[in-house]
Amino acid sequence: MNMQEPRLRRAALPSVIAVLSVLAACATTGAEGEGDRNLPTAGVGPFRELEAEEMKGLAPFVFEDPKALYREPAVLRDGGSTLLYAVARVDGKDVIVRTRALDDRTFFGTSGHFGQKPHIVLEPDKLWEQALSGPSVVRFRGDILLFYSGAEGIGLARSADGVSFRKEPGPIFSRDPVPGSWEPAAPRAPSVYVLPDGRLRMFYAAGPAVGEAESDDGIEWRRLRTGPVLAPAEPPSAGSLLPNERPPFDGASVGDPCVVTRTTPAGRFHVRVLYTGADATGATAIGLAARYGETGPLVRQPAPVYSVGQNEAAPALLELGDSSYVYVHQDRRDGNDTFVAIAAAFAPANMKLPPPGDFPDSP
Amino acid sequence: MRRLALSLILLAGACVASPASANPPDTFGFGSRETAMGGAVAAETRGFAASYYNPAALARSRGLEVGIGYFRADHSLEMNGRDNGVDPVKGMNAGVVVPGTLLGIPFAFGIALHLPDDRISRVRALRQEQPRWELYDNRNQRLFLAANLAIEPVPWLWIGGGLSFMSSTRGRLDISGGANVFRPDDSRLRHEVDADLTAVRYPQGGVRVALGPRVALAAVYRGEFQLGLDLSAHLFGDISGLTTALYALQTRSINNFLPQQVVLGASWAVTDRLKTTFDATWIDWSAYVAPVARLDAVLDIPPPPSGWPSTVTPPTTPAPTRIAPLRMYDRVVPRVGVEWHALGERKNKGFLRAGYELAKSPIAAQNGATNYVDRDRHTISLGIGGRFEDLLPELPGALLLDGHVQLSELPTEATLKASPADLVGDYTAGGRILNVGITAGFAFEKKDAPSAPARGTR
Repeated sequence: MNMQEPRLRRAALPSVIAVLSVLAACATTGAEGEGDRNLPTAGVGPFRELEAEEMKGLAPFVFEDPKALYREPAVLRDGGSTLLYAVARVDGKDVIVRTRALDDRTFFGTSGHFGQKPHIVLEPDKLWEQALSGPSVVRFRGDILLFYSGAEGIGLARSADGVSFRKEPGPIFSRDPVPGSWEPAAPRAPSVYVLPDGRLRMFYAAGPAVGEAESDDGIEWRRLRTGPVLAPAEPPSAGSLLPNERPPFDGASVGDPCVVTRTTPAGRFHVRVLYTGADATGATAIGLAARYGETGPLVRQPAPVYSVGQNEAAPALLELGDSSYVYVHQDRRDGNDTFVAIAAAFAPANMKLPPPGDFPDSP
Repeated sequence: MRRLALSLILLAGACVASPASANPPDTFGFGSRETAMGGAVAAETRGFAASYYNPAALARSRGLEVGIGYFRADHSLEMNGRDNGVDPVKGMNAGVVVPGTLLGIPFAFGIALHLPDDRISRVRALRQEQPRWELYDNRNQRLFLAANLAIEPVPWLWIGGGLSFMSSTRGRLDISGGANVFRPDDSRLRHEVDADLTAVRYPQGGVRVALGPRVALAAVYRGEFQLGLDLSAHLFGDISGLTTALYALQTRSINNFLPQQVVLGASWAVTDRLKTTFDATWIDWSAYVAPVARLDAVLDIPPPPSGWPSTVTPPTTPAPTRIAPLRMYDRVVPRVGVEWHALGERKNKGFLRAGYELAKSPIAAQNGATNYVDRDRHTISLGIGGRFEDLLPELPGALLLDGHVQLSELPTEATLKASPADLVGDYTAGGRILNVGITAGFAFEKKDAPSAPARGTR
């Protein structure tokens, strides 16, 4: 037997132990770790409110004025700007104004932008336009179409620059004249999108539900179904709720549709609609309903995508590739007073936004 | 007879451990020689790598053996064509085999260790809806430590077994006192933290049978293992003298579930220079427990005598998590390997190795609310090795140097969501994993021992 072997073993073992100890010490220096970069998302929430360091004014309100009562936003991407159209109270009547932000958050003419006011793009001047509400903007054949609703239905105005609009003389979509129709009132809150083949589609609210119509030119519209595409949620069956689980947030009514489309990574045409849901107590939240393909009823997402208990309503979605904003109107408390203002929320919720930019030079 | 009884006692001892994640060795191999052969080495492994592949093969060593290596596996795993930043798995593999004789029976004791660079272990409990590479994101980020004992009761039979070790966590946080909502700095709160790291063990055992000088068979069992994470929090106190608040939270989750496995392997020395190996591993994936935290919370804040101010909306107790079941299927993973003694005859030898593994994804299609992402994995591996005997007169034994490159391809496929209102929506997923490593070892061999692997399977 070689007598050197035990000696070498004695020499080797401490060396191995020493090396292992040094390497073990290195095992405590790990970074937090990743694995959650670039995760897929349908781009429609859930959303979180903007935070104070992401805003110029009081978070999450991006467009506010206690006198103008900005509400019912609609958004449109225009190069590097975000155009926001909203209903406002000016000189005692409701009008539609336009404002602009370069960072999607710092809008021209909000209360912190001293001395500046948004541009009025549409004023009611006909009887049917009373109770002006629900603007929706879409690009179509080189124009910007502005749909809005009045007491007797939905109207249309056109513009080449998004500032000066020409109105159609009367409503382009009115209450369904068919006897027994599911629509108990004149349609309101339009949201319009363009199909890949160039046809226009409109989701609109009527009573407690949402319907759908189609047009080739934006003037002549025809209803697509004899029933709504989205109705309030059915009440839960007895015993189906977990302890502390709440019944559907949209069991009483659905409205204010905001539609966006995309083609999924798997190649399916995907219609997504954000809407205002209300329960029997009148509490509201923003929900999501969607479908694959051009036709058919919308399927609801059971959980709201934005819910803060502040009477949030009238969502407008802005998609920016990896992220998206939803603009809503909700209650803003100022001491003992409360007024409605436009707030912004962001998704994905775990992404932090850079500090806000400057106000733009013009609306 | 005495030898057989002793063998059974040792094997039984290995199996009484309490049931205890994925091992990094399951995915990336353990030791460059074995990894290069596709992991198809249950009947062929030896040295410190045997502690993972087949503890019985530890007893093939006749002299002290030490080994140390390093590997790095980089993930390029994508969803919708964009990299998800899955952390690399990297670290040291090391081990030692100490052979001897007990009651005239050759035996060996072995310890094997995978020590990650970054962390000993990582626990993650994500929302079940959040997409994650379930089998690669977190499960391999952990230590592997195994201790085994093996015997060779008769010259054609090797039996071995042992335990692997980890630790699970139980923790409790108590906060009590008074909170002043008007002057937070004046709040008086007492904190108490109680945490336990409980040892978890799981067994492994194996047997190897030489059917002759060129053929060997093997069977290996690896036990089930899971890391529990139980956390509770209890908050109670007075809020500015207006009311009291109680918040009790309990969360339970299972991390790093490692299903039990049974491996059947064979080794055939086709010629004196060419060896082929085959393994089939049954993995009990259907027993998998999804790493989703079960959350139970109680919140009790009675209204103050004057009622809630109009500007305050009291919070309500959150509903418990409604966990969607994760369906997984048992799988049989085939592996093949080949080793060619390409160079050298006597003291210095060179080897070329190759292997292939097909790991069909055990996770059912994720077309519901959950997003446990996985894809079939095709893995090819290549390696080189050298065995240099008696390099120095004062160093009797063999220096072993091995290297490996392993490439796993996960073909891109689409996941189609049944509900169009799914917040994640359709996505494509796929990618590849590149694993590169080296291992160095030294076998202090007895000159009269038949442990040199150049000939046959013994």
